[in-house]
Order: sequence, then C-alpha cells, then structure tokens
Amino acid sequence: MSVENAKLGRGSAGFGMAAAITILFSTVLACVKDAYKPLNSFMNSVAWHNWITHGIVDVILFVGLGLILSKSELAERIAAGRLISFLVGAVVVAGLGLFIWYAIF
Amino acid sequence: MNITSSDVILLAHSTFGVLGTMAAIWVFVETLNAREGNAGRIRLVAWIAALCMIATWIFGGYWYVHFYPADRAMILKGPWPFAHTLFMETKEHLFFIPLILSFYLPIAAADKLYENANARKMVLWVAMLIVLSGLAIEGAGAVINHGAKVALLHGIPGSGR
Repeated sequence: MSVENAKLGRGSAGFGMAAAITILFSTVLACVKDAYKPLNSFMNSVAWHNWITHGIVDVILFVGLGLILSKSELAERIAAGRLISFLVGAVVVAGLGLFIWYAIF
Repeated sequence: MNITSSDVILLAHSTFGVLGTMAAIWVFVETLNAREGNAGRIRLVAWIAALCMIATWIFGGYWYVHFYPADRAMILKGPWPFAHTLFMETKEHLFFIPLILSFYLPIAAADKLYENANARKMVLWVAMLIVLSGLAIEGAGAVINHGAKVALLHGIPGSGR
C-alpha cells in the first residue's frame, strides 16, 4: 500500500468518528437544554451544574463511541479523506451553530 | 497586593488554555516535518495538549460554578450584557470542541505519521482546529472580561466586591 493511500489506524478512525459525532451531539444538547428548561434543571441536579453534567456526558459519549467504533469495521471502512471532511464539517457546523443560536435566542 | 483564589483559578484556566493551544501548534509544526525521529515527540506534545485542556476544564469549571455568578449579574446590568448572553454562552459550550479534539489528538498521533499521509493529514486538521477554536475562545474570554470592566466603570450596583 502506498503511503498516500494508507488507511487510518482502527483507533484513529473509530475515535475520529466518535469525536465528530460527540461535537455535533454536544451542540444539539446545548441548544435543547437552553430551549427546554426542565432538561437544564435535570442536568443541574445531576452534577452540581448543567455545564459540568454536559461535559461529563460528552466525554462518556466520546470514549464509549470511540471504543465501539474502534472495534467495529465501520469507521475503518470509510475513506480517510471523508472522515477528515466529516470531522472538520462537524466542528464548523457546531462552532457557527452555537454562535448563531445564542445570537438569535 | 491582594490576590484571591478566584484570581489564581481564573488565570490558571486561561494560562492552561493558551498552553494547550500552543502545544497544538507545536504538534502541527512537528507533523508538517513528520519523520521517525520526531514521532515520539509529537505523541508526547499531543498528550501535553490534552492534559492542558483537562486542566483548563477543571479550573474553568470550578471558577464558573463558584465565582462567575457574581460577575454575570454585574455584566448583565452593565452596558455590555451580550458579553454574557452571546459570548459567555457560546464560549462555555464551544469549549467542548477543543476539549474533545484534544482527547482525540494523542490517539490520532499514535499512528505512524511519517509513513501514512492520511494519518498526517488527520493530525494536521485536528491540531489546526484546536488552535482556531482555542483562539476563538480566548477572544471570547477577552470580550467577557471587558464586559465586566465596563460594568465596573459604569458603577453598576453590587460591583464593588
């Protein structure tokens, strides 16, 4: 296999996909808890503050999904370029999405 | 001189954020020149970036929960309420992006970057995204700080703590 076409390692592919999904999930969670106060109150009651609960949930999701995807062939089968595009796209959508959400609401 | 624990924690938060961002820049530059000889250093600095972001998270989280409510009340009564409603709200949630990416960076850097162009490309993108989001967050921090400052300058009641 040429070095230009080399695949990502299983861990790199699996956790890369997990990172992209977690970042998108985190953005959706931020918007939903902002719009739906009972969820915000529930997250406040779980770990001192909704922001701390939010961070813990993100980390658990990233690690859990990463471990699952690293063991499956799903992430590894996706072309490296596509996975990179998915991750970069997720970060751009999440970053702009958060700014626009809080600017409007 | 009167340096409070709030001051120390807040400065530790932003300092570790800058150090994590600088570590990501280091990873980016080393990866541009990836070879067998610097593979270990790339992995070490990727771990340093992750540890700095964890420290930023802990210090920032503690300060946000214990000390920020007083500042928030002051900012909201001041001439720059958007420093909280837009910039702090965005910043506190945007932070999870470089945090997750910094956790991923050592995993991506564990591949043999010197012989895998795609693995190299992944590390370059992740490091760059950490740097850009880190800089955006530092900038938002400056706006929030200024929001508190202009509230103090305008003599907002309750700001004399």
